[in-house]
Amino acid sequence: MDRLSRVPRVLLFGVVAVYLLLPLTAITLYSFATSWTAHALPDGYTLSHWQAAFTNTRLLSALGRTFLLALSVLLLDIALVVPAVFWQRVRNPRIRVVIELAAAIPFVLPFIVIAFGILRLYGVVAPQALGTPWLLLLGQAAIAFPFLYWAVDGAMAAIGVVELNEASRVLGANAWQTLWLVVVPQIGPGIATGGMLVFALSFGEFALAQILVGARFETVSLYSLDLLARANADFSTLAVLTVLTIVILCVVSVIVVVLNRGVADRLLPGAQLARGDSSGN
Amino acid sequence: MASTRISRDAASVTGHADMAWPAPRVLPWLTSQLIDWLPALPLILLALALLIVPTVMVVAQSLRDGTGAWTAQVWAETLQRRGDQRAIVTSLGLGVVCATVSILVGAPVAWFLARATTLMRASWLSLLNVGANFSGIGLAFGFTASLGTYGMVTLLLQEAGVVFTPPSPASFLGLAIGYVYSNVPLFVLLTLPAMGVVQRDSMEAAAVLGASRLDFWRFIGLPVLAPFLAAGWLLIFTWSIGIYGLAYALAGNAATSQLRLMTLQIGVALNSAASSQERAAVMATLLLLIATVSLVAYRLAVRKAVQWID
Repeated sequence: MDRLSRVPRVLLFGVVAVYLLLPLTAITLYSFATSWTAHALPDGYTLSHWQAAFTNTRLLSALGRTFLLALSVLLLDIALVVPAVFWQRVRNPRIRVVIELAAAIPFVLPFIVIAFGILRLYGVVAPQALGTPWLLLLGQAAIAFPFLYWAVDGAMAAIGVVELNEASRVLGANAWQTLWLVVVPQIGPGIATGGMLVFALSFGEFALAQILVGARFETVSLYSLDLLARANADFSTLAVLTVLTIVILCVVSVIVVVLNRGVADRLLPGAQLARGDSSGN
Repeated sequence: MASTRISRDAASVTGHADMAWPAPRVLPWLTSQLIDWLPALPLILLALALLIVPTVMVVAQSLRDGTGAWTAQVWAETLQRRGDQRAIVTSLGLGVVCATVSILVGAPVAWFLARATTLMRASWLSLLNVGANFSGIGLAFGFTASLGTYGMVTLLLQEAGVVFTPPSPASFLGLAIGYVYSNVPLFVLLTLPAMGVVQRDSMEAAAVLGASRLDFWRFIGLPVLAPFLAAGWLLIFTWSIGIYGLAYALAGNAATSQLRLMTLQIGVALNSAASSQERAAVMATLLLLIATVSLVAYRLAVRKAVQWID
């Protein structure tokens, strides 16, 4: 290839890389900066914000709560989605119609609208549930499940779950044993890929957290907003908190990439499905 | 659990049940229905209780007045209000701008990445994944730290002697800069698998037959990729209109800000007791309508797109 034709490509990738890395760099520098108001780089560097953060109980408990919440959302979604997809593939295809309809809602409907609806519904039928982390847990599990559903569905199609199930049944296993001992061990990467998306979504989720519980259950995003927007904002603490969040996201995304062996397997949701339908049955 | 022990063979299920309870014939039917649905039931109930019924509630509320009688009056009121009109126009405009920027930047990036070495692609995918997932309040702080009054870029340019006023985060441009940060990576991740559909050999075949590069793109490349790109555009458009956390953090309290968005109008109504929840319900229903239309268009685009796979 001639050199000249590569210039626009290098330029394009350079601009995108700078654009993506710039805020991350600025935030990281902020977390080590003494003060930063005059020059392109901070006036001096210090570890004191990091030391302060690790004794800041409000920050630590927000992190702990958010982590626990995201983990619970993930486990709940796995427990609900995996059996449903298995049964839809081996026994009752009509399940797919219902779940696809439900999955379309959080896929395109803004979360603030869903939060609004949940607030309205439970304000009428169960006012005592409002403001509790349980409702937030259920709400986040509901908005995040499609990502796990599509990943698990694709993974089950890929391993040929129908034939596997028949073989396992002929050999005397029941449905429960087949699911947990034969199918689940083989769809591990699928569960992990979808699961990481669920975890990341719950970890950074803001609309439901703000509308359904607010300060009664302060998550990382609610605390961050307070640090960013209140009268005397605290950017140093916010920088440390955000760096920690980014590190968690990095770990999560590296795991996803490694599990997919460098292939982006986020093919337009629904496309996978359409493919499975046309060639499968 | 008893249900899972029963085999897939429906005849043996009903036969077994008949022996246990000989009297009514409804029972075997019920049992088999239950077995057909039971493992999916918890998920379906969750979706019903936290997605489907709440959505219906919002739509219903937009069509009722204060006393609970059915009316279209709130709709008429809302659509005539200046602030709400502005919110609708700004939200739609922001969606179009962000989706178009995403396609212009994201499509070439995805095209080249699909042809890059595995190591190169893997490292870019990691970066893009972080970008796609880094959103909300953290990203708003990233904006402040780079483009705020004392942001890194602002200070850098000013130190270099450039007269530079950073865009206000509560402006159309400010929001667009923030939105695009996760939109472009999302677009690349969504369309990257499709970019492999156009193979290098089809390019060479076209060249051998005398087609120029431009001919190739005009008659082969773009027609094949167009449905994928359209589907990606529609998703970014829909998701941008629905962004709330980032907009809330950037534009601040929309009640005091000049900038209005559909999602912010809802957020303000829900966060303050004084505002009208009925008008927020109209905004929410409008968002639902937009989402439904784009979903239908998206499904059509995907159906057209997958004919090239296989």
